[in-house]
Amino acid sequence: MSNTQARLPQPVASEQTALKPRQVSFAWDETPLHWIPGDPFSTHTINVLHLLLPAGERWFVHVYKQILPYIKDDDLRADVIGFIGQEAMHAQAHDEVLPHLREQGLDPTPYTAQVDWLFEKLLGDRTLPPGRARKWWLMERVATIAAIEHYTAFLGNWVLNADELDRRQADPTMLDLLRWHGAEEVEHRSVAFELFMHVDGSYARRMRTWATAFGALVFLWQRGTRFFMANDPTLTDRRVSMRTFMERGREGVLPTTGSMARSIPRYLSRSYHPSQEGSTRQAAAYLASSPAATAAEAREKGVG
Amino acid sequence: MPGLRTAAAVAGAALLARRALRRRIARSPLWPLPALEVPVSGRPRARAMRLAVASRETIADGVVQLRLESRSPGAQLPAWEPGAHLDVLLPSGRMRQYSLCGEPGPAGAFGVSSYTVAARLVADGRGGSRELHEELHEGAEVEVRGPRNRFPLVPSHAYVFVAGGIGITPLWPMLRAAEASGAHWRLLYGGSTRASMPFLTEIEKLDAGRGRVTVVPQDEAGLPDLSGLFDAVPPATAVYCCGPEGLMDAVAAVLPAGSPLHLERFTPAAATEGNEPIEVELRRSGRTVQVPADSTVLAAVRAELPDLPYSCEQGFCGTCQQRVVEGEIDHRDELLDDAERTDSMLLCVSRARGGRLVLDL
Repeated sequence: MSNTQARLPQPVASEQTALKPRQVSFAWDETPLHWIPGDPFSTHTINVLHLLLPAGERWFVHVYKQILPYIKDDDLRADVIGFIGQEAMHAQAHDEVLPHLREQGLDPTPYTAQVDWLFEKLLGDRTLPPGRARKWWLMERVATIAAIEHYTAFLGNWVLNADELDRRQADPTMLDLLRWHGAEEVEHRSVAFELFMHVDGSYARRMRTWATAFGALVFLWQRGTRFFMANDPTLTDRRVSMRTFMERGREGVLPTTGSMARSIPRYLSRSYHPSQEGSTRQAAAYLASSPAATAAEAREKGVG
Repeated sequence: MPGLRTAAAVAGAALLARRALRRRIARSPLWPLPALEVPVSGRPRARAMRLAVASRETIADGVVQLRLESRSPGAQLPAWEPGAHLDVLLPSGRMRQYSLCGEPGPAGAFGVSSYTVAARLVADGRGGSRELHEELHEGAEVEVRGPRNRFPLVPSHAYVFVAGGIGITPLWPMLRAAEASGAHWRLLYGGSTRASMPFLTEIEKLDAGRGRVTVVPQDEAGLPDLSGLFDAVPPATAVYCCGPEGLMDAVAAVLPAGSPLHLERFTPAAATEGNEPIEVELRRSGRTVQVPADSTVLAAVRAELPDLPYSCEQGFCGTCQQRVVEGEIDHRDELLDDAERTDSMLLCVSRARGGRLVLDL
């Protein structure tokens, strides 16, 4: 089998953009517990993001700080530096939702303490001899981040287009958080994959880490939804089922199961490149109108 | 048929495992996974709150006092301790620090219904006080972070407080705390005129005629005479001073040996003007770099260590946080909490007092 041009990852040039972190801030005082009115199941399924992202994206930053010496390309380095700051802000912004949940009687700490363990200990810097073992573990984690970023870009693209959430009058602050985050994920969707291809690029590693990341995501997500549904103080019907998930997907309040299944072979294709999915222009358009992102812009000018 | 038998056994085991797992999950959605004992996520940080100006009054010439409350009625705000300040984000995007001067509330996570800050109009200042005076009317909304305490009141048997003008704001809650704890205290309070000095009547009422307060308005008595300030104070008296730089230098000059001095600068040096050059030693790499006044620590260190992580270069993302081994840090970010501030800094915005830093790099 030869590596012909058609089989190599094909970036879409028009999807490139310069990355910069935005100093956003959200006020949660007026966001109700069930911010999609009358739909606690969908609310909590999306709320799992607030459980996973603070620890997860801090871990991205932690790993990427160590990869900088391996980057030999100045444009890619600039992209990675912008990526790090954006991810750090995502972690901070989602972290600020957690005290708000606690004030409403839904304490997320039992779950987040486990996610913290997962990212800080299990996936942290292990006591490894410098040299091959340490580099192997670093590359393994870089590849895992590329796989996770495939899904964050998928979800970002979904939430930018989820008009059903507007029709159901979901809380505007929460929607702005999700769409600001989603738009930045779409904006920087190529960075993690390009970094992986630059420092390693092994197809076997891509397959292996995708399987781990996908399995862990499914496991953690269903567990997070069950956790919220079991501990929400206002619920009487606490059932969680795959069928409800698929129904909400068809209604447009959650991503559809079919679209999620179809995204799997795309990532595993040898010619995959993240710029083939989603639209940078749509992301930029949202960021230009997002209340949080425009306030961040104004703040930067006011300080400068 | 051994093959068929194996297949049947595997299928049976899979069915059993599935059933057991489903029961397990249904019974307890969080079957055990290891957890961090001190969780990192969701820790209440100095997070942003949007508050409304509930009342506004002029308490002295050129000094307004604002009472800030949550917009949802009855909501409790984090309690604070004397010396704490609030970061206030003014409508233009400027961030300013104001000392809290109301009731601290019981020690604990939440417990006060409002915050009180007082600010003097500085006509030739950097515009922050003008903006606060002109735009924060009753009902206006403002974003705040905090409260944070960089000027804490240490327990002591005796205190000397020295206030210059609006520098009384962090000291006024301290006076009440000192009085409540039964400690000896005295206050020297200087200002330009009596009418311009806030909290005068309240302070004299607290003193209850015991002569512990010396008020020195400049138009009546000139600059305060510090020579007798420390006469007959017990040893190891804690000294707290907040006011203009000149006053704080003068207090430091007459300070008796053994008395700890606590200072609060209410106008931190402006972000770009008046910077001093800094010498930064990178202890692990054994190198020293010079940071010119018009450059940042990050830029200078990056010239030596090109792979140093950083991102936003404005002090909000936290990527360039590094451990400081020696040197007094001049923190200029809004991100780190008090514990992190004791031994680390953000290289992109923060600088040093005293011209020298040693980093663990």
